[in-house]
Amino acid sequence: MKYIYKLVLILLVSSVFTACKKTLDVEPQQTIDAGTALQNDQDVNSLVVGGYSILGGGSLYGTNLLMLPDLIGGDGTATWRGTFQSPRQITNKTMTRNNADANLTWTAAYNAINTANIVLNSLGIVKDPDLKTQLEGEALFIRGIMHFELVRLYGLPWGATAGNTQLGVAIKTKPTNTEAEAFEKVPRNTVKEVYDLVIADLTRAVTLLPEENEKRASKYAALAFLSRVYLQQGNYAGALATSNEVIESGLFKLNASVSAVFSNKNTAESIWEIQQNEQNNAGTSNNGMATFYASLPGIGRADVRITASFVSNNYPVGDLRRTEWYYIGTGARPGNTYTSKWKSFSQNLPIIRIAEMYLTRAESNLVLNSAIGATPGEDLAQIKNSIRTNSTAPAVPTLTDVRNERLIELAFEGQRIHNLKRLQQPTGSFPWNDDKLVFPIPQREIDATSGVLVQNPGY
Amino acid sequence: MRKLKPLFLGIFLLSCQLLWSQTKTISGKATDSKDGTPLPGVSVLVKGTASGTVTGSDGTFTLAVPEKATALIFSYLGYSSKEVAISGSLVNASMEVSQTKSLDEVVVVGYGTRIKKDVTSSISRVTSKEFNNLPLPSFEQALQGRASGVFINGGSGKLGQGLKIRVRGISSISADQQPFVVIDGVPIVSQSLGSNTEPDNPLATINPDDIESIEVLKDAASSAIYGSRASNGVLLVTTKSGKLGKSKVNAGFYTGWSKPTRKADFLNAAQYRELFSVAAENVGYVGADEFAAETGTDDWNSTNDVNWADQAFQDGYVRQYNAGLTGGDARTKFLISASYNDQKGIVLANRLNRGTARINIDHTLNSIFKIGTNISLNKTNNYSVPGDNAFSNPLQLNAIPPLHALRDADGLYNSATLYYNNLIEREGNNETLNKTFRTISNAYVEAIINPYLRFRSQVGIDWNNLQEFQFLGRRTLDGAPDGYSYSNQVTASVFTATNTLSFNKGFGSDHDLDALIGTEYQKGQSSGASVTGLAFPSDRFTKIASAAIISDGSSSETQFRFLSYFARANYKFKDKYLLGASYRIDGSSRFGEDNKYGSFPAFSAGWILSEESFLKNSDVLSFLKIRSSYGVTGNAEIGNFGSRSLYAASAYADVSGLVTSQIGDEKLKWENTKQFDIGLDFGFLNNRISGEIDFFSKKTKNLLLNIPVPATNGYTSITKNIGDMNNKGVEFVLNGTIFQGDFVWTSSFNISTYKNEVTRLVAPVSPGSRTLGRLAVGAPYGQFYGRQYLGVDPDNGDALYLGSDGKPTNNYVAAVDTIVGNPNPDFYGGWNNRFSYKGFDLDIQCQFVSGGDLYNIAGFFQSVNGDYFDNQTTDQMNYWKNPGDITSIPQPRLYDGNGAGKSSRWVQDGSYFRVKSVNLGYNLTKKMLRPLKMESARIYVSANNLLTFTDYTGYDPEVNTQYIGNVNLGHDFYTPPQARTITIGINIGL
Repeated sequence: MKYIYKLVLILLVSSVFTACKKTLDVEPQQTIDAGTALQNDQDVNSLVVGGYSILGGGSLYGTNLLMLPDLIGGDGTATWRGTFQSPRQITNKTMTRNNADANLTWTAAYNAINTANIVLNSLGIVKDPDLKTQLEGEALFIRGIMHFELVRLYGLPWGATAGNTQLGVAIKTKPTNTEAEAFEKVPRNTVKEVYDLVIADLTRAVTLLPEENEKRASKYAALAFLSRVYLQQGNYAGALATSNEVIESGLFKLNASVSAVFSNKNTAESIWEIQQNEQNNAGTSNNGMATFYASLPGIGRADVRITASFVSNNYPVGDLRRTEWYYIGTGARPGNTYTSKWKSFSQNLPIIRIAEMYLTRAESNLVLNSAIGATPGEDLAQIKNSIRTNSTAPAVPTLTDVRNERLIELAFEGQRIHNLKRLQQPTGSFPWNDDKLVFPIPQREIDATSGVLVQNPGY
Repeated sequence: MRKLKPLFLGIFLLSCQLLWSQTKTISGKATDSKDGTPLPGVSVLVKGTASGTVTGSDGTFTLAVPEKATALIFSYLGYSSKEVAISGSLVNASMEVSQTKSLDEVVVVGYGTRIKKDVTSSISRVTSKEFNNLPLPSFEQALQGRASGVFINGGSGKLGQGLKIRVRGISSISADQQPFVVIDGVPIVSQSLGSNTEPDNPLATINPDDIESIEVLKDAASSAIYGSRASNGVLLVTTKSGKLGKSKVNAGFYTGWSKPTRKADFLNAAQYRELFSVAAENVGYVGADEFAAETGTDDWNSTNDVNWADQAFQDGYVRQYNAGLTGGDARTKFLISASYNDQKGIVLANRLNRGTARINIDHTLNSIFKIGTNISLNKTNNYSVPGDNAFSNPLQLNAIPPLHALRDADGLYNSATLYYNNLIEREGNNETLNKTFRTISNAYVEAIINPYLRFRSQVGIDWNNLQEFQFLGRRTLDGAPDGYSYSNQVTASVFTATNTLSFNKGFGSDHDLDALIGTEYQKGQSSGASVTGLAFPSDRFTKIASAAIISDGSSSETQFRFLSYFARANYKFKDKYLLGASYRIDGSSRFGEDNKYGSFPAFSAGWILSEESFLKNSDVLSFLKIRSSYGVTGNAEIGNFGSRSLYAASAYADVSGLVTSQIGDEKLKWENTKQFDIGLDFGFLNNRISGEIDFFSKKTKNLLLNIPVPATNGYTSITKNIGDMNNKGVEFVLNGTIFQGDFVWTSSFNISTYKNEVTRLVAPVSPGSRTLGRLAVGAPYGQFYGRQYLGVDPDNGDALYLGSDGKPTNNYVAAVDTIVGNPNPDFYGGWNNRFSYKGFDLDIQCQFVSGGDLYNIAGFFQSVNGDYFDNQTTDQMNYWKNPGDITSIPQPRLYDGNGAGKSSRWVQDGSYFRVKSVNLGYNLTKKMLRPLKMESARIYVSANNLLTFTDYTGYDPEVNTQYIGNVNLGHDFYTPPQARTITIGINIGL
């Protein structure tokens, strides 16, 4: 009997003192290990979708890239009335090195760039050749436009020095996969170098992207961005060729109603939109375009107030845009003027519209004294006509007519400071190349790189 | 690791050879020294072994002992244990009731027990008789003021809220700072599980009356056996067990009433009008006009005079019913108990009720095997209070001007107030209810292989299910416009399997060896699912089934595992030289690939000087032991996947994508603490006076910190083991029996200190926009850092701050940040007195904290000389009026920010002395009991938080608002005070 106990005991003891190393291998459930995250076509495709989700965040196109250029260049058009310090500093051109939005936008843009670089580095996994081409194009598109947005905000404008040797932003074309890579200190490149990379990325993206790409960036989204880049450089020939190609594709046309593009999703007028819905959007309380711009019952903080005289002086009485795009607030801070371009949390955000292409082609043709695609008068009439705006455009517009029309048509879509800079016009008392119109490099970045990243003048 | 296994097995097999040796039989009887009545259930152990028995109902026992056995040790709860030498076959013991904490009492240590006299480490012990029948919100509160070296801050008077328990200072920055909690050998879930901003306390689900003792393992020698979980100390909780003898029924009931320990004084309507008229006038405005503009009401001209601050409170109550049955025979002992406790808090809508049931059974199968199980079932309903920073926090009502009416013309709570009138949430179906179902259970089998060797295998589980539900109707702030409903389910469990082989033997008369080896496997799992619904047909529909919009939903899961090997040996030579060593190896899924296993050794030594010939015969000194220890412990609460590089999902409108979420350090590991301890245990006058003194030094390295990396690489930080911190301190305990005889007075006093210093950081952690707490190298954890307020310029009423030139300035921006306080106490402790006379007994427990600055964040709103329309504390009426006025309240200037900047203006000394509990009872005499057919009966009245002495002017000096994170100790923000509770109760035994 006792020997049985003995045997049982020995078995018991030897079994419980045994364990194998695998016991400690536990995989997370809401996240997956980076080493095994990308295994097939779908995974890399998902990573590109993730890239779009970063672009749609409040730090990038979800809010900051659309709102901040209109605040820093907003003199005479709009004022920040909210309690948030960071947009207030941007509006007043009194940013500190620790400006929260300058920090957030920088961080998010490089997060998107890193995502694009991981995609470019993982194309070997993708088996479907068409998908592979498309994903490479999309990654280059994301990397290109992010470098473009960064260099416009964090460097002195194109043309500020003769060879554009002023410091732009750090060019990143390699992914970060290891701890050592995460500590790498990358210095700033010159503005010219960054623009060169942007043009190279977008030009190659144009050759790779499909003509139509559902709700994602197509060849024409890349071309449209390229026209923006060229226009920013004052390269009117480039801007003309690219904007013309977008228009000539015939895939896009202006809606009959000026408000349709801001209240319906993916209309014919849109070349590329950030997609949003009820659940997934840039935010409803501390972020999001409607959050800051709207003053409707239950919607919006009404933090960005439109200067009433800007509307009354620039949109003629009867022009539908005057009444369709502006209203007197009925929600927060009621009784003042607000724009109805941004009034729903779940509405898509148009980033680039065909109207801009007409305006770019018209301006370029005027400067170059040509009529490629159409005359400036014909292009302007696309924008301004009896049906769309209930107003008429001059048959033979001047350069000033076209440029003014651009300010009116694209108002509060994140273009103002960039337009002023390319036209070398001041905002308020700040000349176009003023140091205070350039965002500070976040102090944390200077600290984290031990000064390899150099601060902008004026901070 | 693999190399150790054969070693363990070898020891085991070798020991089996000793299985059957020669024995002799001994019998005897244990009796009470006072009246000679037989004591059943007394444990009888052969000295130097783990073998033994218990006395039967007539106090007698029979035991087979090895031929070489020299003595028997008798121990019994409430009595001093007694060693009797074996001479012949009859051994009787006359047991004495222990009056104070005895040196012979058995203390629970990791995976075993030890006689207090032989302990070479630092352990604080609190037993049930010290906290019986007190209306404790949760059991760990019993340690407050009773256990030296354990600093407890109740945080607030909210029921079911997490307490801060800090054993010997603060040993972490970003990992957990709470001690590791083990109940009957089962490590339990002690971190908040819920999603509320106010963290819930899983320990509140445990019935304090089920607990026999709580041991706090403080130094490395006692705690290192728990390896990577032990840096914050370990709480070993032991539940009551069955007793041999006739089955006994115990039943108890108490009921009580509670009120806030203190309410605050705010301005009445006349004072309010006066202050704000002046404040407006001083900046060229008219008070009435500004009030109308800001509130949208003309209440300035109303006759209302509402004391909004008092509206936050209600009269609370507490009641408890409990019943238990204990008993057993020579082979089976059992305890069955059940209780129901219902507490209504002093803050509106706050209520906690708890139902518990427990079965503890031990059964001796035969001469070798013993099995047993502890099963507990708990259900807790917690009607919780919102976080301090929520507009729905009832305490925030004190900001509403007294000029607003409480109710509107329709009799509903007035919604036209300056701030949200959260009394609206007391109307209709609004409810926040968190239900917890929990079991903490274990089962064990023990094999007594031979008198020296026993093997024990135990499995245990802590299984928690938390169901959170919240409904807010359409009139509430967060429920507008059409109602809000939230439902969340969390299941968290820890499964533990432990196997130990223990060896306990005396060699000759001089050598005693007590050794242990073991393995442990632990698996923790947590999963949750939540859903939010909006828009209901009316407030009578509260469940999400009736919601028009399902606005949010989520599910989640996470896991961790530990695999551990440990060993310990204690050697005693001639009953006076003590040596101890322990070693643990912990492997965890949380640790990085390159650091999967950590090892945690500890050593200790003790010398019982009073056993030496030169002291042995002293009449005064009865006991003196010097002991010291050194060892290494870890803190593994570093997050489950901190070492990994990870991808997460990110939704883009209707599709979901992948994004990088974290870059990891494959070397990431536990935080490491090396602790040195030296202590002295002493007893005088036959141990009538006894005590302990300990000095400790804890050096923590490899603190987990986020190191910033350049964002240009796509990440902003990486978590690495990089920071260092030190804690040093002294603990002193003195116990004494001041009177003996019919009138007994025993007293116990303890006092402790710790000095914390952060010695290495990546970058200082600066105070937030509202807070003062910071982390800086060379400074104590949470040091207050900010502008120093220097009072008021008598000439013009300007607020003054310390300027950069060392002189006062009225320019807040130009003033400099400086050290303005330290939230860590200088010292803290407790003083407990127990008096008994015939049937009466009186227990008075006091608790104190000295130093420990407090910062009232809400001062910026409520004590700011009428800067905005928040109602102000009455001291603000002493504002500066005329040139030459000497006051600390600046001239009121509406909207102007005179004295409104974050500064030491709202820093105060948080010292306090509190009569924590008083318990007066009467035990009915045997004569009175006989006709009632009762074994015992006790009636009592008790008071909790009876008196508080403090200079702090806020609600309660024992405060710690939870919403601003760990660094900001001692911050107050509309935080409710503790309750003063008076209870009466009865306990009977049948």
